Amino acid sequence: MSNVAAPGPESQRHSHETIEHPYEDLGAVGMLGAAAIDLMVGGRELYSVFVRTLYYVARGKREKGALARQMYEMGNRSVFFLSVTMGFLGMILVYQAGLQAKRVVPDYTLLGATYLELLVRDFAASLGALMLATRVGAGIAAEIGSMVVTEQIDALRMCAADPIDFLIKPRFLASIVMTMVLVIWAGTIAFVAGAFTAYFAFDVPLQTFFNHQLVDFGDLAVGLTKCLAYGAAIPIVSGYCGLSTFGGSEGVGWATTRAVVNTSLAIIILNFFISGAGFLIFPG
Amino acid sequence: MIQFKNIIKSFGPKTVLQDVSFDVPKGSVFFIIGASGVGKSVLIKHLVGLLYPDSGEIWLDGQEISRFDEAQMGPVRRKCAMVFQHSTLFDSMTCAENVALPLRKHKNLSLKAALAEARQRLEIVRMEEFADRYPPELGDGMRKRVAIARALTVDPTYVLFDEPTTSLDPVSARRVDVLIRELSDKLGVTSIVVSHDLTSIFSIADRIVMLYRGKVRLQGSREDFKNTPDGVVQQFITGRATGPFEL
Ligand SMILES: Nc1ncnc2c1ncn2[C@@H]1O[C@H](COP(=O)(O)OP(=O)(O)OP(=O)(O)O)[C@@H](O)[C@H]1O
Ligand SMILES: [Mg+2]
Repeated sequence: MSNVAAPGPESQRHSHETIEHPYEDLGAVGMLGAAAIDLMVGGRELYSVFVRTLYYVARGKREKGALARQMYEMGNRSVFFLSVTMGFLGMILVYQAGLQAKRVVPDYTLLGATYLELLVRDFAASLGALMLATRVGAGIAAEIGSMVVTEQIDALRMCAADPIDFLIKPRFLASIVMTMVLVIWAGTIAFVAGAFTAYFAFDVPLQTFFNHQLVDFGDLAVGLTKCLAYGAAIPIVSGYCGLSTFGGSEGVGWATTRAVVNTSLAIIILNFFISGAGFLIFPG
Repeated sequence: MIQFKNIIKSFGPKTVLQDVSFDVPKGSVFFIIGASGVGKSVLIKHLVGLLYPDSGEIWLDGQEISRFDEAQMGPVRRKCAMVFQHSTLFDSMTCAENVALPLRKHKNLSLKAALAEARQRLEIVRMEEFADRYPPELGDGMRKRVAIARALTVDPTYVLFDEPTTSLDPVSARRVDVLIRELSDKLGVTSIVVSHDLTSIFSIADRIVMLYRGKVRLQGSREDFKNTPDGVVQQFITGRATGPFEL
């Protein structure tokens, strides 16, 4: 593990020792233990990146233009991809749901309403964020990772600019805003695509499909909480992966892969907990 | 005054520095020479907390700094600036913004004041016309000059130059030599220069230390190096292909 979280003598003393032969000569139990320790160290460093990001956000000093540029890049980089994937996913979901409904109760009046509830409560945010993880997460990890291997991070530290403040914070804020915006946009696309699928495949009139009676405050609250959590998780996890890059351009490749895998994992885990909490707080 | 005492540093199974000790006198131009991969860059990064030794001490003006944390390193990094081996300017910022960054962070100048001063600093290294260009658009030598300007903006007392003349044309290289010499003679700045450039070494060095296989092989003045009977050192400073020198 590298020393991203709190660079200092203690964290560096053991750095790089696990690079070349990670768990050599440890035996099965030892290997499990080493992996667990790695995970814990990783978790602690990730947590520290998160806390320090919040600290810098709270302190409020902003680099002029950095936030706007990040927002533009994230939005621009993802909007087309997200629209297309969510559009197709919307069509598939409604088509499948329609087929199931036809078998059980040949009645489509609530097809649109249930679909909308599902989108708002979960699918728009979760599927959208998974797409964003591949797009935005990989971008962040690759950019920061290559700054690590070209010593730009060291140069930042020499200039008394904390990489967390300078690189992660603007991406964190931009990602929270843009995830919200993009998810709402992508959810709308998915819903409209679903509406047309229902109209053409099952003759469901658009007025019937556009029905929001099932969406209540709880659904909205859960959906928006998810947007917020995913928006925060993507830059933190992928930024952490980027900062812990080691070893040349191959290392950047690894960091990027790790970022996509870990952000996706984080999104799914967060989804589980927020959904669980959502059903406890807003049942039905 | 900088003192390295018994520095040991390994990366995994590989020991790069094995017990390196030497003193850098204040105001001098101090060269660190040695083969590629011997650990010269690694060694100077220890001084500014970019790497930490496995054991050993580093003294800077009477303070032991090798166990400083990131916050305590702040003042050290202001006092000891570094010109990185590959320049390492920030690609997403213009040259002027690059030079302005340490002014804003170390000295808390406003963006406008910092940029104005950055332009003046770029003039000194004859890069003012490229102030608004981005580093990837420039050649290696130009980037190096901007990197030198960036390191010197906060008026450090110590400057670490990692191969400042590599990738420069001969004229620019000699200009850098003159600059380093003048920093020392006129401003009393101590320069630690990592270099393979024999011309630089034998024209401006006050003291030289040679690293060889993780240890100090020889330290002394230019004359000491020219007159040493040590075959390894002789082969290195004359640049012969055959001899006792091992990588
Ligand atoms: N972060 C790191 N992780 C693992 N090994 C490293 C790391 N940094 C340096 N090394 C190793 O330490 C050794 C010394 O590297 P260093 O860059 O100091 O050499 P150098 O003397 O500066 O050479 P050059 O003249 O080519 O710049 C190299 O073998 C390198 O592979
Ligand atoms: Mg080097």
